[in-house]
Parts: sequence; structure tokens; C-alpha cells
Amino acid sequence: MALLERTLRSRELRDPSLIRLIFADTRMAPLWAVARVYLGYQWLLAGWHKMWGSERWINLPGEDGLGLKGYWDRAVSFPEQGSPPIKYDWYRDFLQYLLDHEAYHWFSWLIAFGEVLAGVALIVGAFTGLAALAGATMNFNFMLAGSASTNPVLFILAILVLFGWKVAGWMGVDRWLLPALGTPWEPGGLVKPLKERIGPGPSKPRPT
Amino acid sequence: MKLALLGAGVLAWLGVAIIAVLVVNAWSDENLVLAFFPIAAAVVVAWLVGEWVTERVFLAGNGEEVHHGPA
Repeated sequence: MALLERTLRSRELRDPSLIRLIFADTRMAPLWAVARVYLGYQWLLAGWHKMWGSERWINLPGEDGLGLKGYWDRAVSFPEQGSPPIKYDWYRDFLQYLLDHEAYHWFSWLIAFGEVLAGVALIVGAFTGLAALAGATMNFNFMLAGSASTNPVLFILAILVLFGWKVAGWMGVDRWLLPALGTPWEPGGLVKPLKERIGPGPSKPRPT
Repeated sequence: MKLALLGAGVLAWLGVAIIAVLVVNAWSDENLVLAFFPIAAAVVVAWLVGEWVTERVFLAGNGEEVHHGPA
């Protein structure tokens, strides 16, 4: 018991100054802006090709999402020689489930719009952390489905931007958005008065 | 006045989004590297406008940055 108490006692382990300089100091904002804009540009390009390119997934005469269906079909297949693109059975089952339910019709719209929105948000630096998280999630899924391409590099970059979310949008719209909206644990200047006006909500009756 | 300045700053960033989409739409199949530069230039311009707006809207007389709304 004493061992548990000693291990789990509340302590705050502070980051070294170099880590704080990189991920939380506004002097690094130009570096993060370059990383953020490059990442956003890549996502915007990818999404735009899926929307309007010659091999687009949506906006086609006839059924939407056939490009995505082809991609998923290849991903879940077992080649006669070599190893299958997907290593994890649970992920293959997940894609097979989506294929069986013809989810590629709407999923292709979700991916194309998601990529464009994440790209624009990263370029202008609005909700940078959320946009980087969305990008990293898409990279992660493409990699799970067996596509390497630019995904590993973009994934690492997105994770870094995610760690530096506080300063990554400093030279962007987040400079105004974050102080105005705040975070779930610290409401910003626009949200705080609203929260105070609404009040703390009904209190639960105490057990007697 | 401050609202108009803030509107100008928001418009500058909206302009970046529009330029990014237009550039990608026009040049993405031709030269991927070249298409990046107008977007980067637009970001720099919007950042300069944003700093100018921040200085006039959110900085108090002592240079301390004031957050939006009541404290």
C-alpha cells in the first residue's frame, strides 16, 4: 500500500527548457508556421485531387466513391504471392464491413472534404491542433491499409504540429481564436461570460 | 473601430484560404513546388496584417496583450 502511495503520489514532472522552447515558446512560431503551411498544402492538394482530379473519388457521373472502393478492395485482398497489404485482421474486418455496407459512397465525400478542410485549417492556422489530429488520423488509416507513399512523413509532421498546437497557430487565426474560445479546461474570453451566465447547472441532491 | 480592424484581419486570413484553393485548383497538376510559393506569400501577408490588427485591437497602452472579452 505504501509502495502504491509513493508511486502514485501527485507530482508534476516539468519538461526540460529545450522542450518548452520548441513546443510552447512563441519564438518558435515561424518554424511551426512553415511546418503547418507545408502540411496543410499537402492535404489540400490530396483532397482537391480526390474532389476534382482526373482520378477523383467524388463528383463523377454515376456512382460516387468507386475509387475508394477499388482502394479498399485492393487493401483487403490476399495476393497469390507475397504478404497482404493489411497486417491486422481487425482492420481488414473493419474495411470489409464498410465494403459490405457500401459505405464508400459517403466515406469518399468524408475523406475528400476532410482532407480539404484540414488543409485549409492548417494553412490559415485555425484550430491547428484539431486539424493536425484529423490529418494524423487519416495518415494512420492510410498506413494501416497498406499505403506508404507520403503518409509516414506527413504523419510524423502532424504529430509534431499536434504537440506544438499552442504555438503552431500563433502566426495564424489561432492567435485570436484560442484566447477567444479557450480550451475545455480553460474557457476563453468569449466563452467564459456565457458559461457564467448559464451557471453551473442543477446540483445533484446529496445522499443522506 | 476595433471590430472593423478585427474584420480586416479575418478577411486577410479568409483571403489566404481562397488563394490556397485557387492556386491548388489552377496549378496543382503542373508544378507542385511553384504552387506552394503564392500560398506561403499570402500567409506572410496575412500574418503581417494580423500583427497590425493585434497591435491595434488587443494591445493595451503598456504593451501587454489583452485577451478578448471581460477578464
